[in-house]
Amino acid sequence: MKTSFLAVAAVLAATAALPAAAQNATGTVAVNGSVADRCQFTLPSDVINAGELSQQGAGSNAGKLDPSKLDGQSRTLQGWCNGTAATMSVEAQRLVNTTFTTTPPTGFDRVVNYDATATANSANATDTSVTDGAGTSVPVGMFTGDVKVTLSNSSSPTAGLLVAGDYSGQVLVTLTPAVTPAP
Amino acid sequence: MKRLALTLLATMALPGIAHAQATDTASADVGVAGSVAKLCMLGTPTPAPVDLGQMANTSGTRVGKIAAISDRTVTLPGSFCNFAGSAITVTATALVADDASPVEPGFAKAVNYTAAVTNWAPGPAAVTTNATAAGGSPTNSATGPTQPAPKVADLDVTLSNFTAPSDNLLTAGAYSGLVVVKLGPVASGGD
Repeated sequence: MKTSFLAVAAVLAATAALPAAAQNATGTVAVNGSVADRCQFTLPSDVINAGELSQQGAGSNAGKLDPSKLDGQSRTLQGWCNGTAATMSVEAQRLVNTTFTTTPPTGFDRVVNYDATATANSANATDTSVTDGAGTSVPVGMFTGDVKVTLSNSSSPTAGLLVAGDYSGQVLVTLTPAVTPAP
Repeated sequence: MKRLALTLLATMALPGIAHAQATDTASADVGVAGSVAKLCMLGTPTPAPVDLGQMANTSGTRVGKIAAISDRTVTLPGSFCNFAGSAITVTATALVADDASPVEPGFAKAVNYTAAVTNWAPGPAAVTTNATAAGGSPTNSATGPTQPAPKVADLDVTLSNFTAPSDNLLTAGAYSGLVVVKLGPVASGGD
C-alpha cells in the first residue's frame, strides 16, 4: 500500500513541473574593464655631486675641466611602463656656474656640457647638453625596473679655464606611454 | 532582447574609457652638481734668473760707482685667477753683496731697484727697495690694484731704476736679490 502511494505522488509532481520548464530565459551581464597605458617612476630623483670640476696641480691644464669628474658617473632610477609602445627620452641640461652669472672673460668658461644616456629595458635614449631640448625618443616597451642614467663626453665650450663657483645642471628622463587609439 | 541591449551598452562605453586614461607620462630627474674652487696660477718666469752682469763703471767720471743698468723684463706667461677680486703683491729684495764684512765709509754693498708687475689690474703692482749702504732693510713689499674679473694674462715683471745707496762706490763681489710675485684673493692680501 505504501509503495503505491509514493508512485502516485511522483507522477503528480512531475506533471505539475512540466509547464514551468518550457518558459526558461537566460540573462547575461557582460563585465568589461580597461587598463590605460601608463608609465611611472617609483624612484624619480637622485643627485650626482661631482665635487671639484677643475684639474688641480700646476700642469698646463690646471684650472680647466677635469672630464673624469663627470664622465662615467651614473645613477639608477626605478620605473615602469605597462604598454608595449611606451617610449623614453632624456634631456641633458648643462652645468652652469650659479655664483658667477655674467659673461666670463676670454679664456674662461662658466658652463660644462655633457652627454646623458638613459638605459631601460635594453633601450638607450641619449641627449647632449650642447643643444637645448630633449633627445630623440626611443621605444622602451613594457618594463619594470632600472632606468640607469650615465654621463659622458663632458667638455667646456672653449676648453678654457673654469670660473670658480658652484655649478648645477640636471638630467630629465621622460617615460611616455603610447596613446591608445579609440576603437 | 535583453541580452542584445546589454551588449550594445558595453560597446558604447569603451571608447570613452580609452580616451580618458591613455597618456600618463612619467618624469624623473638626476641633479648634477659640482664646484670649482678659487685658483690662481703664475706662469714660469722667463727668463730667470736675471743676470745684470757688471754693475759698476770701470772707467770714466763715475768709475767704481753704479753704471746705467738697462731695464730688465721677466714674463710670467699664462698667469690666471679664475675668480673676481684678485691682486698682485710684489716683494722685492735689493741686490746685496754676499760678502758679510762691514762696509767702509763711501762704499755700498747694496743696489736698490724698482720692481713693477704689469698687465693684471688697471695699474701696476710696484715697489722700490730701500736698502742701506750696508745692505740693511733690503726688502719692501706692495700690493697692486684689484682685478675685478677672472683673468688670464702674461704678466710682465720689469726691474728698473737701479741705484746704489747715496750713490756710493760699490764694493766688489757677487750680489744677489730676489723678486717674489704673489697672485691671489684681495681679502688675503694677495697670498
